[in-house]
Amino acid sequence: MTASAWICLALPLASTAAITAAGNRISRRGAGYLSTATTFGSFAAAIAAFVRMLGETAHERAHATTSWTWLSAGPYHFGLTLLTDQLSVMMMLIVTGVGGLIIAYSIGYMDGEDEERRYFAYMSLFVFSMLLLVQSGTLLLLLAGWGMVGLSSYLLIGFHQDRPSAVAAAKKAFVMNAFGDATLVLALFLLVQHTGRLDYAGVFATSPRGGTVANLIALGLLGGAVAKSAQIPLHTWLPDAMEGPTPVSALIHAATMVTAGVYLIARTHVLFENAWFVEDLAAALGAATLLMAGLIALVQVDIKRVIAYSTMSQIGYMFVGAAAGAYPSGMFHLMTHAFFKALLFLAAGIAIHALSGEQDIRKMRGLGRTMPHTRTVFLIGCLALVGIPPFAGFFSKDSIIAATLSRGAFGDVLFACCIAGALLTGVYTFRLFFTVFTKEGDAQPHLHGKREGPFSMVAVVTVLAGLSVVGGFLQFGPVWTPLTTWLSPVAQPFAQASSWQEAAASAAAVAAGALGIWVAYAAYVKGTIRVPKALPLLERKFYWDVFYDLAFYNVADFVARRLRTVFELPLIVGSIGEIRAGFTFGAGEASRAQNGLVRSYALALAAGVAVLAVVFLTTR
Amino acid sequence: MHGPDVAWYLVLAGMLFVTGALGVLVRRSPLIILLSVEIMLNGANLALIAFARHYGHEDGQVFAIAVMAIAASEVVVGLGLIVAMGRRDIELDVDKLRTLRG
Repeated sequence: MTASAWICLALPLASTAAITAAGNRISRRGAGYLSTATTFGSFAAAIAAFVRMLGETAHERAHATTSWTWLSAGPYHFGLTLLTDQLSVMMMLIVTGVGGLIIAYSIGYMDGEDEERRYFAYMSLFVFSMLLLVQSGTLLLLLAGWGMVGLSSYLLIGFHQDRPSAVAAAKKAFVMNAFGDATLVLALFLLVQHTGRLDYAGVFATSPRGGTVANLIALGLLGGAVAKSAQIPLHTWLPDAMEGPTPVSALIHAATMVTAGVYLIARTHVLFENAWFVEDLAAALGAATLLMAGLIALVQVDIKRVIAYSTMSQIGYMFVGAAAGAYPSGMFHLMTHAFFKALLFLAAGIAIHALSGEQDIRKMRGLGRTMPHTRTVFLIGCLALVGIPPFAGFFSKDSIIAATLSRGAFGDVLFACCIAGALLTGVYTFRLFFTVFTKEGDAQPHLHGKREGPFSMVAVVTVLAGLSVVGGFLQFGPVWTPLTTWLSPVAQPFAQASSWQEAAASAAAVAAGALGIWVAYAAYVKGTIRVPKALPLLERKFYWDVFYDLAFYNVADFVARRLRTVFELPLIVGSIGEIRAGFTFGAGEASRAQNGLVRSYALALAAGVAVLAVVFLTTR
Repeated sequence: MHGPDVAWYLVLAGMLFVTGALGVLVRRSPLIILLSVEIMLNGANLALIAFARHYGHEDGQVFAIAVMAIAASEVVVGLGLIVAMGRRDIELDVDKLRTLRG
């Protein structure tokens, strides 16, 4: 049990270390195979832990294992503790399973790229960081994983380090995540101050209920979650992160990174339940993000950016679900989203690969004729994203929407946002699909013989398409709820939708999604609805970047310039000449003492000793 | 404990040291300066041995032996330099050797 947890955590790290240490002695392909094999090895270890857990009763399933005391400060001792319970084993399975598929896909996608070894070392490091985050048994170790996920994403987003836009995007992601890390750290400080511990059970039992402190703690945790999961107001890094290679985007969006925020809320739900205001704030932020991201996605022309905004929107749903008290629904959507979002990115990656890096959907028209397999799997991903039954997104998204209905007036507002979001999802997803795959166009893909891409790529998207079809049947409304039962010892949901609420939510969401698809069909295929000119508000992404530039960059730039003219130029640059002259003069005077007479040196020594002797004798 | 009190040895050691130091300061010949340095070292040696005897401890004796070894090596280098100077007809006067002036 505990051994499998350690193996699961250690394998990706070992892969990173091996690829780094081997350098040129390992072939590029070999690095890819090693990285894939270790990630699937981790997956096998996670399955072993899961199977073992199945044989135990519900309340025996949490296993904490401490290898040694990691940090010790005064009365505080923090161990290197892994916690394997229902929630973390679910995350382990998603991270290693989907992550392994994405890394396997990369073998074909990155073929011929310079520095493939570095790429695979980073990918393994990313998986390791995320595993550390989800497996940690204390908030302190979670913080370590949290920071390492930020670091890995920085390294991978900036993988094309010769491209200035990629470097800028990597820095942006890192800085925004660092802000979230800082609020998370502040929350941990408060927890240590008020409870003296950082292990989950101890913190949950003794943390303050209600009041300012509880609100501040939850707010700090929420800040970390919002930054990592790209929700308003710390979301602007995510679309820019599309500068990384496409499998990196898939890994960030599906298996690792952005799901960390949802995991954090589910994991520390007790702390959020102690602070109702913050929990409602989290739901409101999620609802606002899902609407805003859906609107922006309507006008984007870069295929990866449209999918990126759809991720923001779907994570918004997960936030609504988790913050509205339906933790299993949020985690369920996290899982199905991992399947179909990885599918969408990787299918888009096949198209981009075949078009030698073209990402503008206006130049990708006509791919459906030449790449029918890609079109089919992309359609499956789109249907799952919109939530059309029986695809995976339908089951998970609808359970979130149903949960909002059981939360009173505030829940009704959330419900309206979710339904509007479902409509938007239908429109922007099928705008993408119809534009790229059904229109006639002159895109000329380079096909590899009969296949549409290298075997590893085509095989992986086929597997993911299968998962996107069947993944949703894990849980269906109030009828069939193994996932809720499984997770309830860790995260007991307090929002329980009744049967009619489930039915109403499903009907409304499917109707909204279908309406969205019809609108997209009418607008982009039939042409019966004239497509309005894109609003500048949407094209400029609600001016968030402009706002941040004004509020932070321009202020810092102004202060720096003023400091230069007022302080640096006159005081420092102006005084350099005088300082130099002073030193030259002093050195010239001091060099007179070096007269070359050995006996005068000896006298100086003797005099020095005499003075010291007098000092010692008199001060004794 | 036989012999005079330790203070007498120290007085003699101090006198030897001061004599050597004065020699280093006032004489110009490198040969004499080297001799004076040896006198200073031996003054220090005497103090070490006197204390070693006084406290019944061998450490001082060991140090004295070490100092003698170092003094011997120092004399080898110093005399070698002086002989080399003599062979090149350089005047043996430390006040004339001022090329290290700053």
